[in-house]
Amino acid sequence: MVKLEHKKARLVLRLGDLKLEWAIERRYWRNPLIAVSCLLVLPLLISGRADLVSLLTMASIYACIAIPLTWQITGTSRMNFGPQLFVGVGGFTAGLLGIHAGLGPWQTLPIVILVSLACALLLSPLTIIAKGLYFSLITLLLPLIFLEITYYRSDIFRGETGISGIPHLFDLGSISLNYITGCYFSIALALLFLFIVDKVMRSRLGLYAAAINDNEDVANAVGLNTNRYKVVTFCITSEMIGIAGWLMAHYYGTFAGVTYLPLIFMIKILLMVMIGGRGQLYGAVVGAYFVAFLEYFLTGIGPVHYVVFPLILLILLFILPEGLYGLYRKHRYREYYPTIKVRRKEI
Amino acid sequence: MIGTMGMVGVYAFVLGSLYLLMSLGFSLICGVLRVFHLGYGLIFVMAVYVTWMFMENFGLGLIPAIASMCVVQCLFTLLVIYLPIVKRYIEKEELLLTSLLLVAIIIEEAANYVYPVTAGVDIPTTIVPGSIKIGAASIPNQMLIAAGIAILTTAMFIIFFLKSRSGLLMRAVSQDVRSAKLMGTSTERVYIYAMMLSIIPPTICILVMVPFWSIEPYLGWPLLHTAILVAILGGLGNLRGSIIAAYILGLIAATVSFLIDPSLVPLVSLLVVVLILIFRPQGISRSESLW
Amino acid sequence: MLLKVDNVTKTFGGVHAVRNVSFSINKGETVGLIGPNGAGKTTLLNVIVGTYKADSGKIELDGNDITTKPPYKICHLGISRTYQLPQAFWDLTAIANVAVAGLCGKHRPDMSYGDAMLEASHCLELVGLFGKRNILARDLTLYELRTLGLARALATTPRLVLIDEAMAGLNPGEALRAVKLIRRLKEEYHLTIFWIEHIMKIIMEAADRVVVLNYGEKIAEGPPKEVINNPTVVEAYLGKKHA
Repeated sequence: MVKLEHKKARLVLRLGDLKLEWAIERRYWRNPLIAVSCLLVLPLLISGRADLVSLLTMASIYACIAIPLTWQITGTSRMNFGPQLFVGVGGFTAGLLGIHAGLGPWQTLPIVILVSLACALLLSPLTIIAKGLYFSLITLLLPLIFLEITYYRSDIFRGETGISGIPHLFDLGSISLNYITGCYFSIALALLFLFIVDKVMRSRLGLYAAAINDNEDVANAVGLNTNRYKVVTFCITSEMIGIAGWLMAHYYGTFAGVTYLPLIFMIKILLMVMIGGRGQLYGAVVGAYFVAFLEYFLTGIGPVHYVVFPLILLILLFILPEGLYGLYRKHRYREYYPTIKVRRKEI
Repeated sequence: MIGTMGMVGVYAFVLGSLYLLMSLGFSLICGVLRVFHLGYGLIFVMAVYVTWMFMENFGLGLIPAIASMCVVQCLFTLLVIYLPIVKRYIEKEELLLTSLLLVAIIIEEAANYVYPVTAGVDIPTTIVPGSIKIGAASIPNQMLIAAGIAILTTAMFIIFFLKSRSGLLMRAVSQDVRSAKLMGTSTERVYIYAMMLSIIPPTICILVMVPFWSIEPYLGWPLLHTAILVAILGGLGNLRGSIIAAYILGLIAATVSFLIDPSLVPLVSLLVVVLILIFRPQGISRSESLW
Repeated sequence: MLLKVDNVTKTFGGVHAVRNVSFSINKGETVGLIGPNGAGKTTLLNVIVGTYKADSGKIELDGNDITTKPPYKICHLGISRTYQLPQAFWDLTAIANVAVAGLCGKHRPDMSYGDAMLEASHCLELVGLFGKRNILARDLTLYELRTLGLARALATTPRLVLIDEAMAGLNPGEALRAVKLIRRLKEEYHLTIFWIEHIMKIIMEAADRVVVLNYGEKIAEGPPKEVINNPTVVEAYLGKKHA
């Protein structure tokens, strides 16, 4: 009879009288180098399968959206129900410039950054005016309105079909080489975002974010300019999401509002954050890859996957109150856990 | 010019009444339970597709099909929406909102899977066919009747809240849950009651609108849109505010679609709502109760 | 004169919560603010720290007008407060709670995270919470939360501390400890204290001067001994019969 036990950082295997023990050093698991090298080797291993490479790229881009979103939810203490708005802003800016002005990906990038920043600045007063549910509802509506506009001005945005013929990110001659470089680029961008947000969360800015997420009034009373901090957080994170949109447009060469703006795309992103770890940064990364892979493998069961996929997500939401990451670090309660809160005192 | 003005006026009235009916259930839940039912759109979808299922697959007539659909709706709201989701997550809104959205997505995707847009859903609920001319405005009879039904339903709801005992209980709960509990109200029963009542207006609404509305599995979202806007503008569940808000939005919709372009209506409505929010963060009505 | 409140009025929908209140606080004083329930004490405090904007009147700190300044700026100028119902960053540890205050309380961009933690542990030691520095705020007891509030106020390097009912909900032993603590902090840091209190006995001992509010209006001001014998004050507290 084989018995496998997990006891205080050691794995015990009992096979009759035989007893095997392995000590698991926690920090080995926590060492980010392992995950990073896995991500770096994986594209080479699956380079023969174009669909898997594409999937990995997609998952990394999802991570690029989920990582800043986690910071945004903590730093503004508001639940954004429409992060895909900035995917749309970034993607359409890149796409329209790409096909009309003939700009390459590296020329569109600064313009995408500027346009996203302008949009973020325009919307950032919402983080001050709208509280709790109001903010969630308005952000829920914004991308849907943008979607309406893409239909309304089909002559510009190509509502139904999307923009196609956007210059590709890399042009190295062979298609498979392009895909692999694109994949590496998206992984690199996700890692960069992760690195930045991780650094921020560990610095004093992270402490401020935690304070604002926890109790805005007290934060203001102890001398933190909460309004400025919320606006800055909103702008930077929206900017990062906009860059993810830029990457999408240039990686696929097409960009359609129908794909990225509807609710189902938003729900996917939101669930990466929630199933991953309820606002935990590393949880969001795990969640992004998990949700992307889950969706891909479900497409195998035919068109019914449109029903099964949200169903599985709903079940996961029910059975994992702390998220996937919560399973791993249940006992370490001292460190700060951001909690996603929609309702504050208001309403 | 005057012709256009008259047209705008008539359509503002009709659209306002329709918006009111669309959002009545949403406002009710918002007022009593103090949560947002983001899965509100699925009531419309189910009203259409379950009725169609009973007519098409079980061969029932229109009236029996509608009756069976109402039973299914009530059971669904109780067993799928209220007990596992709303009751459990009423304090954890992020989970509540996401699960409700997911349920709505599942339902509409299921509807789309079984009856794709090409299946041609058609429910004959036209009461008076043809159209009528009011001044320069030509308007389908069914729309006017829908507006009339909307006003009638709202009036009945208001009378219910003001005169009946259950209505009084609901108003009490909407004003202050804790005090209502202290006075011995079973909030849970009131919540279930409110959820059930909230099915009625959207169901009536979509059934009378079927003849002039485009029926597809994703029809719930634009309607939820309107309901959210009305609720925010009206002051989160205050019926008096909702009535004013519905007609304001109706006026905006009529003006924009006649003078500029119908596709701009959602954008302009949202902008107006956000603008009003800046000056009156509590919405039109300042009170935080049902009436 | 450190703080000067001049003719401040605050209404909520037609109800005067604070009406034409004027008083001043000198450097190094302990001024008590008493009054029956609903007299507008906490509202007045909220107006001073900028949570509510005064409808009319003027508040000056060291001669600078702070009436319309937002709370964080008023905190930077040296006024900090504690709460009647303890407020904290519930999901942060005690030391992080204080460190936030240390980092933002004054405009100190050069201060590093480590310095802030060091200073925060010093503040916690002063109030006797050092042993609980790694406990989440939500797991602290009421007394500990009150002292945490003091430590947080202290970390912002204030000149004037507004204390809102430091004793509410504490047992007599804890209340005594809290009073001693506040006195010690005042001596060590040369603080000025504006103290809202319900328990007469404590305020009589601690305060140099007392301001009495009733229905939002100042009805008396003066040394504690005088005020307690003032017939208007007795009437406000006990009703007409006892006056």
